[in-house]
Amino acid sequence: MAESSLDVLLKGSSGQRTRGLLRIIIILTIAAAAVASRLFSVIRFESIIHEFDPWFNFRATKYLVENGFYSFWDWFDDRTWHPLGRVTGGTLYPGLMVTSGVIYHILRLLTIPVDIRNICVLLAPGFSGLTALAMYLLTCEMSTSPSAGLLAAAFMGITPGYISRSVAGSYDNEAIAIFLLVFTFYLWIKAVKNGSIMWGALAALFYGYMVSAWGGYVFITNLIPLHVFVLLCMGRYSSRTYIAYTTWYALGTLGSMQIPFVGFLPIRNSDHMAALGVFGLLQLVAFAEFVRGFLPGKQFQKLLTSMVLLTFGLGFAGLVLLTVSGVIAPWSGRFYSLWDTGYAKIHIPIIASVSEHQPTAWPAFFFDLNFLIWLFPAGVFLCFQKLNDEHVFVIIYAVLSSYFAGVMVRLMLTLTPIVCVAAALALSSVLDNFLVMSKPTAETQAKANAKDAKIYGKMKNPVVGIYSYFSKAFVTGSLTLYLLIFVAHCTWVTSNAYSSPSVVLASRLPDGSQMIIDDYREAYYWLRQNTPDNAKIMSWWDYGYQIGGMADRPTLVDNNTWNNTHIATVGKAMSSREEVSYPILRQHDVDYVLVVFGGLLGYSGDDLNKFLWMVRIAEGIWPDEIKERDFFTARGEYRVDEEATPTMKNSLMYKMSYYNYQSLFPAGQAVDRVRGVRLPAEGPQLNTLEEAFTSENWIIRIFKVKDLDNLDRDHSNAVAFEKGIKRKRATKKKGPRVLRTE
Amino acid sequence: MRWCLALLICAFVATVNALSSSGSRLLVVLDETTEKSTYSTLWSDLEARGYDLSFESPKSDKLSLFEHGERAYDHLLILPPKSKGLGPSLTPKHIVDFLNKDGNIVLALSGKSSTSSAVSSLLLEVDIHLANDRSAVVIDHFNYDTISAAEKHDVLLLQRSTPLRPDVKAFFDGEGVLALPRVAPQTLGSDSQLLAPILQAPATAYAYNPKEEIPSPDDIEATGSQLNIVSALQARNSARFTVLGSVEALEDKWFSASVKAPNGKKVPTVNREFARQLTGWTFKETGVVKVGKIEHHLATEGEVAAEDLNPKIYRIKNETVFRIEVSEYSFDKWVPFEVPAEDALQLEFTMLSPFHRLALQPISRTETSTVFGTQFVTPDQHGIFSFRVNYKRPFLTNIEEKHEVTVRHFAHDEYARSWAISGGWVWIAGLWAVIGGFLAFVIVWLYSAPTVNKVKKTQ
Amino acid sequence: MPAKRHAASSTAAPASTTASLSSGPATLKSNSSVFDIAGHVWQQYTANTPQRTLLLDAFMAFLVLVGGIQFVYCVLAGNYPFNAFLSGFSAAVGQFVLTASLRMQISDSGATSSSKPSSKGKNARFADDEEVEEGISHERAFADYIFGSLILHFFCINFIN
Repeated sequence: MAESSLDVLLKGSSGQRTRGLLRIIIILTIAAAAVASRLFSVIRFESIIHEFDPWFNFRATKYLVENGFYSFWDWFDDRTWHPLGRVTGGTLYPGLMVTSGVIYHILRLLTIPVDIRNICVLLAPGFSGLTALAMYLLTCEMSTSPSAGLLAAAFMGITPGYISRSVAGSYDNEAIAIFLLVFTFYLWIKAVKNGSIMWGALAALFYGYMVSAWGGYVFITNLIPLHVFVLLCMGRYSSRTYIAYTTWYALGTLGSMQIPFVGFLPIRNSDHMAALGVFGLLQLVAFAEFVRGFLPGKQFQKLLTSMVLLTFGLGFAGLVLLTVSGVIAPWSGRFYSLWDTGYAKIHIPIIASVSEHQPTAWPAFFFDLNFLIWLFPAGVFLCFQKLNDEHVFVIIYAVLSSYFAGVMVRLMLTLTPIVCVAAALALSSVLDNFLVMSKPTAETQAKANAKDAKIYGKMKNPVVGIYSYFSKAFVTGSLTLYLLIFVAHCTWVTSNAYSSPSVVLASRLPDGSQMIIDDYREAYYWLRQNTPDNAKIMSWWDYGYQIGGMADRPTLVDNNTWNNTHIATVGKAMSSREEVSYPILRQHDVDYVLVVFGGLLGYSGDDLNKFLWMVRIAEGIWPDEIKERDFFTARGEYRVDEEATPTMKNSLMYKMSYYNYQSLFPAGQAVDRVRGVRLPAEGPQLNTLEEAFTSENWIIRIFKVKDLDNLDRDHSNAVAFEKGIKRKRATKKKGPRVLRTE
Repeated sequence: MRWCLALLICAFVATVNALSSSGSRLLVVLDETTEKSTYSTLWSDLEARGYDLSFESPKSDKLSLFEHGERAYDHLLILPPKSKGLGPSLTPKHIVDFLNKDGNIVLALSGKSSTSSAVSSLLLEVDIHLANDRSAVVIDHFNYDTISAAEKHDVLLLQRSTPLRPDVKAFFDGEGVLALPRVAPQTLGSDSQLLAPILQAPATAYAYNPKEEIPSPDDIEATGSQLNIVSALQARNSARFTVLGSVEALEDKWFSASVKAPNGKKVPTVNREFARQLTGWTFKETGVVKVGKIEHHLATEGEVAAEDLNPKIYRIKNETVFRIEVSEYSFDKWVPFEVPAEDALQLEFTMLSPFHRLALQPISRTETSTVFGTQFVTPDQHGIFSFRVNYKRPFLTNIEEKHEVTVRHFAHDEYARSWAISGGWVWIAGLWAVIGGFLAFVIVWLYSAPTVNKVKKTQ
Repeated sequence: MPAKRHAASSTAAPASTTASLSSGPATLKSNSSVFDIAGHVWQQYTANTPQRTLLLDAFMAFLVLVGGIQFVYCVLAGNYPFNAFLSGFSAAVGQFVLTASLRMQISDSGATSSSKPSSKGKNARFADDEEVEEGISHERAFADYIFGSLILHFFCINFIN
């Protein structure tokens, strides 16, 4: 990577070595800044894997490193989705794990003994440095002004929209996928510009890598054909387009089919059909062009009409046939939810329940992108002005991704690169215009801020220019101010919002000192130390990966939400009465149940707040047994206090959350600090479970599932007996006595 | 005659000298040591079978079922106390704890005195109900001893019952007549699956308090075979709890008595033999089943190497062999277990629900055990399965074996290769034709390169 | 309708034996039939194509044949080892596409020397761009082609296993 960027840099500044060198230094500084700003979390907390999904990736990486690639490929994980297990090797995107595995082995080869955990933690920052480089290359393709590339790289390096997914410890697919995304686009633009098989093939290779790394590859799969299609419609067909696209498609599709998880999807799934269609269309267009070379216009038109008619008829018939015979799968649910934001909530609550899949709130755009968001339209507008093939690409990308980012929070990530490109284009054109022939004062001012705004661009002689010193100074000064504010904002956001590992919580004591709340790890290590190796833990799926990673115990469901029914089973167990839940727990061999309860600490991300999703998901499968309505009071409120509905009070989740909670408080004073309500004086009774562990701040509570009673009594009766309550003799029952048959 | 029989049994017992399979410390709880002599034959029989007997009064301070959290005794024989209740160290909770810790209990009741509420609530826990009127006894006007209870009809004369279900082994049958004086009636609840009647009252029996008026038919709680004289509970951990309705039947007097039923001959009782059967079963001398080795492995020709035995992981559609070794304890030794003719020992291969349920066939037999086994193909479904043998029959200790194994999917190199499928040959040929064509093309191209250039130049 | 069919057959296999048409009129009238047009195309093609490009076209025709046979077989006999079918078929398609790309590069850069009819209409607008960037030599194009093909073959062999 570094080599090739070096190459490009030198080429761009032929004859002006100093500038070239300076540019390299600036690029490296940007990369270093990008890496450094992501290390807040390591400094604030420790070198630890964050959040949820990264824990699975980490575990998979460890497996890969320990057992080698082939057994990783064939990995059947019997410690998740108990008792179904998961064909992990065939249902994950292996790119991330293989990347860190390769890095690990290379470092070992160089006799640098490094822990695999540290590689995983630092992979995302490392790749963000590479992303900055790729961004520079991409933007350089768009603009003749080299300042644009440097600005884009700098923006990409520190913009919070990207940092949110790539801080140290955030070991997720996106960590490398964004680099691959940007770099694939760079190669694609290169291929379209040069019409070379090599660039097309390279784009295909990196596309294949991207496919192996992230499910978001579908974005590329649709964006590139769309680009080609728009080019065709604009009458911009050329042999370069044909070469670039067909090479990319033929090789890229075959490459993507090598990934076991993707398999035949590129042929079968409707998500990929656009690419295939454009491929076919391009063949026709190419042939038409070829024939046209031999013919005068009129005859050609005639031939063209007959060909178009024929092809259209054949294509339509084929599509109908395939769809009817079910060869082509219908669109996937996640895809539908992209178009209709209400779709998921109605049809697939499991998708809607993920916070990442919620529509983006407007402030989030500004929060993640700051002033880039209003430079973005300006950049897109500039693209319209020039309008080459690559600018068309930017425009399409911009339009599509802004829509998607509005639909799903998590797709903000795909928006970020193009915003950086467009903003850099806009800003560089402004700066180029205003700094040309500028007075030394303006330049020194700019130099002073060189780290943020690399304004050492090549200055062409413009035909027109702004020659008033005042306006130059004013505009440059204000832009510099904006850049400074941007840097400050990014640093603030990174250090405050995005550097929390969410496994470890931090809070401030009244005197301002920091308090670390480490309940999660406390509980997971309790499980690791105190339970048998194959004790099955049931929890809501959010914590599945963490339990698997930190406690190393089998779980029933986890964050890989491939089996809705199984998740709904857990939801049903959590939201039903004990008598209903207990057989479910027994059937699934559950030994321990883990719930997250934030009532004592005021931790709002607890299970009771997620409870309605469990109910909804369970209702989706058992509409007769679980009804969301029953959990709301008559006035439609979701309450946990005295007024809570009986269904709510009897649900296992409620009982586990508040079991013994009132004993912390004076009688009748028990307060839930999350929901801010006073609880009933009488706490709930648990019969079929017994409390096994409660963490220091009561965030994690673990309950052990009791065995069947030795004497075949009801658990409620057994508990009553233990407490010394005498059982009432069954006094005369009404109706006939049930006789024993033996 | 009687004496002769007694001697015979004595000799038999002495030679057998049985020992329970679960320990020999037996605690007898009885009111006064004077009462002890009433049951001397029983004590000597038990001692002859190898038990260490300790006698304690329920009021004694020393009496404690547990020591340092562990059981202090293996077995417990409780005779009905005269006083109310069993005292502070024999509360129902203690007794339930004793059961939960694998202790076996014989609880004798008596129709002579009313049963204490502590005992009654203990029995209620295990779903055995005593009559509302605590002094009620079982009366039968057709099967009574004409010698001792000509008036009251409260000494029942019964045959030992044969098993109620065909798949249950007979532990309590035999010839001869039992004499059961003044039986406290028990009825069994219909919910508990762990209860089994050992001896039921005859169809003509009913329960009432002889000190009161004869009740109206509506008030009679239970009659006939719904009344149990001896019933047993075998807990999930196979601890045994036997409730004997008539303590008097264990007295020396009734061991050696002769009885005469209406219209019958005068015969000696077989109470002593029955007591042996009852205590032998309860204290785990009989009906104890033990699982020895469990083996499962892939079906292969010849011997299975030790490292291939009991693998943790199988693949779908593997041919799998399962073997289980089962022994049964018979008074003093382990013998091969035999499944009753109408019953089967079954293996389940289950994930959430059984995918296979197969009868295990006896394959070989060692001196002390039978090896059962079967062979099957793992289902076409990956997941965490378990081999389960769940054999729970009345009067036999439970067999509940569960061995988890993982059944994995086909690995990437376990599918048939394309060239192994004849249908794939066409496409392999196609692919190689393309590659061959490509190579030929490249060669021709390179070969033809100069000429083309020449042509171009001339043009 | 039959005329259309002929046009289609020539789309599928430009080098296939529609030789009887090669004796068609040298110049076309504006109202000549599709049939005639196709014949004219064929004539022009045989007349104006350099030998090397002919070689390319022959290879492409071969690939179309291989691909076509596989497709027909698939329709008739089913695609049971689906991965094998896919890799066999897409090898043919991919190779065809790559060869077509090579052909374009070759003939584009050769366009100045050969007397190919100059492109009209839309393409003309971008003539400037093309000339600026059309620095790809035959050797470079061929090397690229080998590179792309090797990747393709690797994927296909891997996929067919």
